[in-house]
Amino acid sequence: MTLLSVKNLRVTFDTEAGRVEAVRGVSFTLGRERLGIVGESGSGKTMTGRSVLRLIRPPGKIEADEMMFDGIDLLNIPESQMRSLRGPRIAMVMQDPKYSLNPVMRVGAQLMEGLRQRDRVSKAEAYTKAVAALTAVQIRDPERVMDAYPHELSGGMGQRVMIAMMLIPNPDLLIADEPTSALDVTVQAEVLAILDNLVKTRGMGLIFISHDLRLVARFCDRVLVMYKGKIVEELAAKDLMQAKHPYTQGLLNCLPRIGGTRGPLPGLDRNAAWAV
Amino acid sequence: MLIEVDSLSVTYRSHGRDVRAVENVSLRVDARESFGLVGESGSGKSTILRAICGLAPISAGTIRINGTAVPTPRGRAFSRRVQMVFQDPYASLHPRHTIDRTLSEPLAIHGISGTDQRIMQALTDVGLPTSFRFRYPHQLSGGQRQRVAIARALMLEPEILLLDEPTSALDASVQAETLNLLSRLRTERGLTFLMVSHDLAVIDHMCDRILVMQNGQAVEELTRDALATAAMKTDYARSLFAASADRMLEG
Repeated sequence: MTLLSVKNLRVTFDTEAGRVEAVRGVSFTLGRERLGIVGESGSGKTMTGRSVLRLIRPPGKIEADEMMFDGIDLLNIPESQMRSLRGPRIAMVMQDPKYSLNPVMRVGAQLMEGLRQRDRVSKAEAYTKAVAALTAVQIRDPERVMDAYPHELSGGMGQRVMIAMMLIPNPDLLIADEPTSALDVTVQAEVLAILDNLVKTRGMGLIFISHDLRLVARFCDRVLVMYKGKIVEELAAKDLMQAKHPYTQGLLNCLPRIGGTRGPLPGLDRNAAWAV
Repeated sequence: MLIEVDSLSVTYRSHGRDVRAVENVSLRVDARESFGLVGESGSGKSTILRAICGLAPISAGTIRINGTAVPTPRGRAFSRRVQMVFQDPYASLHPRHTIDRTLSEPLAIHGISGTDQRIMQALTDVGLPTSFRFRYPHQLSGGQRQRVAIARALMLEPEILLLDEPTSALDASVQAETLNLLSRLRTERGLTFLMVSHDLAVIDHMCDRILVMQNGQAVEELTRDALATAAMKTDYARSLFAASADRMLEG
């Protein structure tokens, strides 16, 4: 079943220096599965994710031939309806907890805000639900975290708080933009296991945006490789080692390996002709 | 031994209770060696680097550089021998200082002449065009900023570089370039590295010996070969090894 279908998505910014095309004709479909989008900084992967939620500020413009989510035309619905989709139906986990959480509001208040405003639940019930959400992302002492300000949490804790926040309304589609790049491997593995479990048990669709090709391949079912705003290769995660495109191969080879040669790492070959 | 850390403990006081960030950790690094500290967030690996620099309170133990205990405050002589590169290149450069000012400050403090020529050389050494000299950090990419941070650390020609997750904020391809730069500088200048990372593959690529840490304590010391052949003895080191994203390539 197709949850999201995107055809020929383009994101452009009209700046004083001219027109910048961040995403240039990206098409993909997503079922209740884990789709990875990989690329370097500036490849348009984040912009692709944000477009689905129409979270691109002017002068940025989103154009597409089609952008359908569960029978809803995301391109043409009014902003008020879009707003009601964000959160309960489509949620996004942002990259950096330092910048995405409100620094002057306690974590508990931030977690309960949506529940109180959107779901109109009592304060006591919101508190219970927020604590349950923190427990679901394996935070050991949720009461302390509820009382803490974001700066009192480590990166891994902050990231888990953001995931907890996004999961409270039980969305159908989760867009995770580099959800683990601020975390170290063991915490990374835990957070991925949490996401994986949620995809499986809740039947959620997941778009996982990352620059780490190996991580994406390990975790996702399908991978899109983006370069300069275009998809240069699409492949099943298990076939990653057989990647044909030199850019995909470059992304794989530039990572150090345990027990590798320790010689200089190969630089990434970039050829503008790949993304014409 | 160039760096000797003996039974180091670091204890902070936070919200009325003691937080033991590092407990009784010892390590030794030879001159021109590259030593890695690996572990999860909160394992105290960065705190050890900060303690060496005098940025964290030492509650017990000693730190010696070349056989001499480090003075408190660390002082200028220490700065000329030991410099640190921080994790986040977006946070570690002064946003309102030009690259020129950032690089010239250590020279001014230490009364070293030939600022002009040294700055041009430093930029060239880290592979940045000299035209970047009068730019501000916000005009550079993450990888370029980290190169500036490395250049800044090298301005006083130290023997020891303390590297705190120098590439974890960077893209995979930029990480490769930065690691290559660090390896090249180490060979050219005979530097000693004490490097912290949570990425075992990065540590394995860069370091001769590795200390695995957990909850502020040393768990296991490994050589490069022991890591490559998965010859670790403790369960924790093994789980860290298994969690490394690098492992999927073996499948």
